[in-house]
Amino acid sequence: MRRAFLSRVADMIRKEADTTFFTVDIGMWAIRDVLAEFPERCTNVGIYEDGMFSVAAGMARCGLVPTIFGIQPYLIERTLEQIKMDFAYQNLGVNVIGTGAAVDYPKYGYSHYCAEDAQLIKMIPGCEFIAPGTAKQFIQLFNQSYRNGHPTFFRVSDHPNTEYDVDVEFGKANVIQTGSKATVIAVSVMLDEVMRVCKGQDVTVLYYTTLEPFDYETLAKHCPSGKILVVEPEYEGTLLYDIHKALPGRPLQIEQVAFPREIFRNYGTYQEKMDYYGLTAACISEKLHALI
Amino acid sequence: MKLISKKLRKDALYLSHKCQDGNLQSVFSCLDIVWTLYDKIMNWSPALAQDENRDYFIISKGQATLALYPILIEKGFFDRETVAGEIGQFDSRYCIQTDLTKFPEGGVENNAGSLGHGFPFAAGIANARKIQKGASQVYVLCGDGEFCEGTMWETCIFAADKKLDNLCVVVDDNDSVGAMVSMGSMKAKLESFGFDVFDVNGHDMDALEKVFLQAKELKNGKPKAVIAHTVRGYGSATMTEQDIWFHKAPNADELEMLMREVDEF
Repeated sequence: MRRAFLSRVADMIRKEADTTFFTVDIGMWAIRDVLAEFPERCTNVGIYEDGMFSVAAGMARCGLVPTIFGIQPYLIERTLEQIKMDFAYQNLGVNVIGTGAAVDYPKYGYSHYCAEDAQLIKMIPGCEFIAPGTAKQFIQLFNQSYRNGHPTFFRVSDHPNTEYDVDVEFGKANVIQTGSKATVIAVSVMLDEVMRVCKGQDVTVLYYTTLEPFDYETLAKHCPSGKILVVEPEYEGTLLYDIHKALPGRPLQIEQVAFPREIFRNYGTYQEKMDYYGLTAACISEKLHALI
Repeated sequence: MKLISKKLRKDALYLSHKCQDGNLQSVFSCLDIVWTLYDKIMNWSPALAQDENRDYFIISKGQATLALYPILIEKGFFDRETVAGEIGQFDSRYCIQTDLTKFPEGGVENNAGSLGHGFPFAAGIANARKIQKGASQVYVLCGDGEFCEGTMWETCIFAADKKLDNLCVVVDDNDSVGAMVSMGSMKAKLESFGFDVFDVNGHDMDALEKVFLQAKELKNGKPKAVIAHTVRGYGSATMTEQDIWFHKAPNADELEMLMREVDEF
């Protein structure tokens, strides 16, 4: 997914004179040609996330389309006030692409983990949050949103879905299958694991890659049972507000497969973390069967 | 003090009285600087408020935003009594900080309030105008105390690296930082970051004009810094002596007293 997005960005810089790209000292090798060819619009700005966000906002104020690339926790947590003040409050469009979330740097410790990214961005009105499940989906979602004038945050994963690669649309959930006993919300890179359990079962599976703005309509139309299993590669509860808002007045029974709200003090591999925190087909199966 | 300086200060007092809020010490500190920019230096007028080649004024020391209204009133962009009648009201466009989304016709270039944001925002505008081959000069008003924020120095690195000689950071140096930390020489620091630095009396409009013109003409790939030495509350003896006026709005009696002080200054 990372290679696909850097290739898309290089193409954007070459063809669109009003676009700019700033990397916070990451991914330079993949785009070394455009860095050399377009030094004004394509730059390694150094380790400079917070001020860089204000700079990007100033550039957007003049009609340019800035895109920033960095590591998710630094892009979102170090810069929260810049996101609020410079992007959201001033209503300026900047694209922010982050790698590393939630636990894609599994050996680096809590500084590099970011299971809270979606929820933090969703708390600031006017911001958009996109978590593609595959490289193709990144390209589709980026192309549909990068010029829409809003602050748009992309979570780029190094562990995409490999079996399910449906076409996606910005702001819309996909109905992967329909069923009557429960509705399973599969978020981003969790679709493969969800389908390992749900394929052939009498349950609805909805696939969300845009987490903000949330597609309320699709959920409202596809929740006959009031039983919901959310499978999200973020801290648990990230989508609870939206689920309740989509289904007002309905008694709901909700189960979650997600990262627990705790500080991760372990290392190991990505898969070890997913196993430890229960973001697995086995755990999905267990919670789904308890639910139905 | 020039008549215009008195007029601007009295308008600021009046607006602060009407909305019962404001940071008047800080406003009085910078009014002469901002007026000189709008009146003598910047390519800006009400007719150019949305012109892409206009010069930009960004307010980074948000606590002094109230200084902007008297100046834009004097320039004919805002109506004095409209601003006075609405400032601080629930649905108003005008308040202690600005919100550019409420001014689609231009005139307000940024939303201030949180320190350390306006300077990098201005650097972004200056960088954009370079990329767009535009003629704009970008002026950003910062407080000396604001330079405790890390983003200010990060922006110095960025501005020098990008050779933003269309960017001029104006430091309203009223020695606020002295009450916080020992900053040392601001001039030496900014020079070491690659800025052309000018020192000036921030209440001497003729000197300000001369320095701003010098800085504007110096196209050498280096960003500019004007350190304007000012006094908090300058224009009123009471306000210079009593720091309670950092955040205090005058009641009717105080308004009359302060207006008189400004006239007699």
